[in-house]
Amino acid sequence: MAELPTCTASARPEEADAGKRVVESEAPSRTLGAIGLYDDVNTLLAAAARIRKAGVRKWDCHTPYPVHGLDRAMGLADSRIPYVTLGFGFLGLLVAIALTGGLSVFQYPIRIGGKPLFSWPAFVPIYFELFVLFAALATMASVVFFCRLGRWHSPLHDSGVMAAITRDRFAIVLYDHEEGHSQEELRRLLAETGCRDIRPLIEFVESEEHA
Amino acid sequence: MRRTAVATLDEGAAAGRVARWHRALLVLAGLGGLLCLAALFGQSNRTRLAFAYLWGYAFVWTVVLGCLFFVALQHLTRSVWSVGIRRLAEAFCAPAGWLAVGFVPLAMLALRPGEVPLFPWADARYVAGDHLLEAKHAYLNVPFFLVRAALFFGAWAAFARFYVHRSLAMDRDADGRRALALRKWSAPFMLVFAATVTFAGVDWLMSLSPRWFSTIFGVYVFAGMVPASLAVLTLVTLALRRLDLLERDLVTDDHLYSLGALLFAFTCFWAYIAFSQYMLIWYANVPEESFYIFQRVTGRWAGVSVALALMRFAVPFLLLLSRSAKTNPRRLVIVSVLILVGQLLDLYWLVFPELHHEGPALGWQELGPPLLLTAVLGMLVLRFGRRHPLTALGDPLVSEARHFHL
Repeated sequence: MAELPTCTASARPEEADAGKRVVESEAPSRTLGAIGLYDDVNTLLAAAARIRKAGVRKWDCHTPYPVHGLDRAMGLADSRIPYVTLGFGFLGLLVAIALTGGLSVFQYPIRIGGKPLFSWPAFVPIYFELFVLFAALATMASVVFFCRLGRWHSPLHDSGVMAAITRDRFAIVLYDHEEGHSQEELRRLLAETGCRDIRPLIEFVESEEHA
Repeated sequence: MRRTAVATLDEGAAAGRVARWHRALLVLAGLGGLLCLAALFGQSNRTRLAFAYLWGYAFVWTVVLGCLFFVALQHLTRSVWSVGIRRLAEAFCAPAGWLAVGFVPLAMLALRPGEVPLFPWADARYVAGDHLLEAKHAYLNVPFFLVRAALFFGAWAAFARFYVHRSLAMDRDADGRRALALRKWSAPFMLVFAATVTFAGVDWLMSLSPRWFSTIFGVYVFAGMVPASLAVLTLVTLALRRLDLLERDLVTDDHLYSLGALLFAFTCFWAYIAFSQYMLIWYANVPEESFYIFQRVTGRWAGVSVALALMRFAVPFLLLLSRSAKTNPRRLVIVSVLILVGQLLDLYWLVFPELHHEGPALGWQELGPPLLLTAVLGMLVLRFGRRHPLTALGDPLVSEARHFHL
């Protein structure tokens, strides 16, 4: 990981355009925090570790691809989604037991091959399948829910950085604005991490006149 | 300066400890040998000894062959995570040739079937008049049995030698082209391995009950073999890591997680195969198939069957389920020991109901062979570790393996 090439922001005209568009925009906006853009992974990892030590509570990293070790650098706790998976898996198991047992003991009590009505070994494949089905669907749904997917909009669009962080740059976004840190403090924090491209995180607001 | 692995077991700071291990194995082998000798006296003791020898031999066989499978699998998939511990698996493959020596008593038992009824199909008086056994005689006869065994040992020894020697040669010349040859030959090996393990399982374990039918039996033997050898690998890896004999960057928590995940996956695979065999026979309830299962799930053998399901699947499954458990050395040691004892129990469950029909029995007559053979395998592995580097540092994937992250 040590030999990744580093390039500077000034070499990218389209990036400059994106920044200018925001500045020139007439739309009223409010500032939510600060964005620090980084050009390589190692600076980002070091910066994330520093931000974590600085005690900022609401912040996130945005990268164009999964970065190994970033969750550790950010100090993210283990995901709690596995508990959802396990819980819904067991729910699926209960449903399967009720379904097969109810059908073969109460609805259609037919004795087959001299076996007891409730012949659980025959239903183990169904227990397994419904366990997996419930667990998988619940995992999928909880990922969508906890990651707040399905929104049409993000302040990162308004701030003009979405193109960069889905292509070749890495961002640390500090949302701590409302918790007492001033814009200057956030910018100083990002500058201390070696960030040379710091921008405000803004969100356009629909004013009364436009509506 | 990167901290590099010590060359061999003897060159580490733990040389004294290794000498102690060797003495302990020697004592165990001696004890096992004495028990075997004592059991040679008396017809009943001799019979129990014969079944116990097969039990112990099957245990050692599954560990060695499982490690051979592991090595080939890592080459075939070009695995990066396992490079730092592949030599440890190779150490268990290296004695594959000795399996043929260990088989000699079993071959003698097949040749002299009148003495001990271990392989009942080998006895012409037993076969005569029984339609099923007469029909199976084309396969289950002593000459063909011995020829097959010779083919198995030839294939296993040749492949083990191939993997171990090429890997050791890479240590010396760091020639990455050797890795390509190892990968290329791993594909045909898998076919040979699948066939030989299936037929060896049928010959050595299933034929104890020669009237029985089960088309899944070969996979069942394989499904027990792989977790057992992964458990051995996990224990050895953790022990050597603790003694600081493995390069730290090559055996991090991420590498350990991969090993734990593989162990977890094969624990589930065993349950899948074991239950598949059980359920299909239970469901169809054909007498030619079900008597084998009936013998093992009724009476006093039922407890062994339940213990098997708990030790080989339920408990390891729950203990390894969480993410953190797969990197927790304590947890991994507990699970590995459980799975190894489970493998011994599994083989006991396959072998001994054919002798102790009424229920499980474990006396000194049964303990000699497993002790002796396991200790001898341990000594052979230790000898390999004292002579050869503990890490395959010549492998072209080593630097990639140092940066392996989940």
